[in-house]
Amino acid sequence: MSNPLADWLDDRTGYRDLLKSVLDEPIPGGARLRYVFGAALTTTFLIQLTTGLLLMLSYSPSSSTAWGSVFYINEKMTLGWVIRGIHHFGSGAMVSLLALHLMQVVAAGAYRRPREANWWFGMGLMFLILGFSLTGYLLPWDQKGFWATKVATGIMGGAPVIGPYLQKLVIGGPDYGNQTITRFYGVHVGLLPLLTFLTLTAHIALARRHGLTPARNADRYPTGKHWPEQFFMNAVAGVGVFAILLIVVLSGHGANLDAPADPSSSDYPARPEWYFLSLFQLLKVFPGHFEVIATVAIPASIVTVLALLPLLDRLFPKKLAHFLACGFVFGLMGGVVFLSIEAVRQDLADTGFQADRQRADESRQRAILLAGDASVGVPPEGSSYVLLRDPLTHGRAVLEAKCLSCHYFDGKGQIPAKVDGKETSSPQVASDLKGFGSYSWIRGLLENPKSATYFGKASSCDGMVEWKKGTKLSSKELDDVAHFVATFAEIGPDTTPDEWLSQPGVDSHPGYKPFVEDCGKCHVVEGLTEGGLRDSPNLFAWGSTRWIRRMIHKPGSPELYGYIDEKDRMPAFSSDQLSENDIAMLIRYLKNDYLGAPQEGKETRSPQVAAKTDSK
Amino acid sequence: MKRRDLYRYGTMLLGNLAAFTLAVPGVAYLFDPLAKKSKEGVFQPMAKLKELKVGVPVAVPVVEERQDAWVKYPKEPIGSVWLVRQPEGSKEPVVAFTTTCPHLGCAINLAADRTTFYCACHSSRFEFSGKPMNDVPPRAMDSLKVKITTDPDPVVMVKFERFRCQGKEKISLV
Repeated sequence: MSNPLADWLDDRTGYRDLLKSVLDEPIPGGARLRYVFGAALTTTFLIQLTTGLLLMLSYSPSSSTAWGSVFYINEKMTLGWVIRGIHHFGSGAMVSLLALHLMQVVAAGAYRRPREANWWFGMGLMFLILGFSLTGYLLPWDQKGFWATKVATGIMGGAPVIGPYLQKLVIGGPDYGNQTITRFYGVHVGLLPLLTFLTLTAHIALARRHGLTPARNADRYPTGKHWPEQFFMNAVAGVGVFAILLIVVLSGHGANLDAPADPSSSDYPARPEWYFLSLFQLLKVFPGHFEVIATVAIPASIVTVLALLPLLDRLFPKKLAHFLACGFVFGLMGGVVFLSIEAVRQDLADTGFQADRQRADESRQRAILLAGDASVGVPPEGSSYVLLRDPLTHGRAVLEAKCLSCHYFDGKGQIPAKVDGKETSSPQVASDLKGFGSYSWIRGLLENPKSATYFGKASSCDGMVEWKKGTKLSSKELDDVAHFVATFAEIGPDTTPDEWLSQPGVDSHPGYKPFVEDCGKCHVVEGLTEGGLRDSPNLFAWGSTRWIRRMIHKPGSPELYGYIDEKDRMPAFSSDQLSENDIAMLIRYLKNDYLGAPQEGKETRSPQVAAKTDSK
Repeated sequence: MKRRDLYRYGTMLLGNLAAFTLAVPGVAYLFDPLAKKSKEGVFQPMAKLKELKVGVPVAVPVVEERQDAWVKYPKEPIGSVWLVRQPEGSKEPVVAFTTTCPHLGCAINLAADRTTFYCACHSSRFEFSGKPMNDVPPRAMDSLKVKITTDPDPVVMVKFERFRCQGKEKISLV
């Protein structure tokens, strides 16, 4: 067994003595499974340390990059989702094991003399582990982490006197942002690991100094040694925890990443991580003025009682003190379990919460789809723009908020509230914008302008209705005109009427002649038709991005609907009311120009069907 | 003693099993960059042939969309190429070089007297034909594929590529 190198090393360091003292540490009454919790916690902590270091290699802590980098780890890196999944669910494992360790220590009476100091180190470790959880939850900078952190730090801000200052200090300023992330990150990967390492060293050193607390029947069994019996049991426990962790990670394909943090969202159903649900539920029990009981008084009392547990022996007889301590801790755990189940039960029964959660999941899936698409990706401005630059998400939101109070889209207006589970739309006073500018929209208009889809609800726009009474265009000619007018939407932002007219395919289009002869009596297109029979909007580039933009900014201009009384006209939206991006996304949404948009002709209703159903 | 051995080997087995199970995704994740490939370039228009003067190198920016890990950048300059028009009757009307020095990747510029290419990092010097003029660079400047369109006003198209630094051989990074 003589190894010259090991001998030399031992001569210089004396490592064999240390190793021997660890391996041969006596266990009164022999090895037992109940002693494994500390080792299991240490193992899980090492797993967290390893996966955490790996994640640090790819994570980027700033409000514009955090979400993107976590997305990249989760979706694009080889087995990145496994590493992040282990780290994410590992925090739950830490907290669970912590609770088990605590209960075991109290049940065994290991908190009392002479181990008081180590009980307090253990409590210190508990706070550090909860600190890891709180700071780590924010780091992906997704909706979940953002809102949960807002709530948690908000609670802190409610503390008497120092609360607001403390909150500002923790989040790095008056608002949540880059400084919040960098602070949380620094604490999570620097300060907490260092403190944990120091406290854990003290905790383990003290545990060894006092030895394991002998079980009550220990004297009936021979004294054992740590190696190999207890080590084996520790290994079984460690591997068991790791196996459960892996099963959770693999079965759910890693940890969720919610949509990027959006401080402007109003319907995100914020919930803390599951092991904080009891505190969340406690808040509901003490509403209003009594909230401080749930946020400060109860947690502070629990911590105080826990800290004083070892001193209970000085007040009461030994057995009674232990009974009280066990009663307190097990009662506490029972309360935590009860409140957590209650929180989940209430959420499951809450249809409003479920609907909000479903919307949040749709945003999450959309954001991940967009970020992963080669043609879209995460914009350089930051991950919050992933959804802000998405016509389906943002364009639709703008449409619903600003346009659907008058217009309809696909038969629906704004839905202010559900009445008896039935959706009731706001009344329609303008056209249905679904497919606006497309062939089928125009063809439907030419077939039945009185339909609610077109000008049926806008009584001051009766020109097309009047035209329909007198027109002699055949069905074929109407088809041609509709096809012709549908090409107007393609006219570019800088094209002049003359340039457009000289393009090939314009004057040879079958719809060109009937358009000029029939539509041109009222509608003006510079250089093509003169109108004059009735007031009507100029149709050059009608339905194109430039036309819609102008219609939104200045519907009352002479070439649009200036001839209609202002009170009957569409209201103008200034660039303060709708930003450039709002309008661009809105128009792209109307034009089906987004990732995953329905293919032309598939989703749009056929004009005849539309006209039929709308004229009922 | 048998039971003790079971514990001993069992502990070692379980410990190694756990470490190995964590190491597999850990190593795969760590070595992920090796699995990432840069995308192949396409020919893109750089200049009009008539704008280039024979024997006067011009640096033209290469404008491309770029994916940097999770960020998708819109079209912006991602590098430059040197275009050198050749005298009438040459086999290639235009020769294109990357501006990346084959020595250690610094940017190659024109020397102050504008008669040679010069890299300021370690004094690599090249003729306008790309041939090295001292022993610093391991090989000639990296030439790029050039196509001239058949328009009445021909356009110079270049396929932008990156190459491994050092070594006598020119090896594409795609």
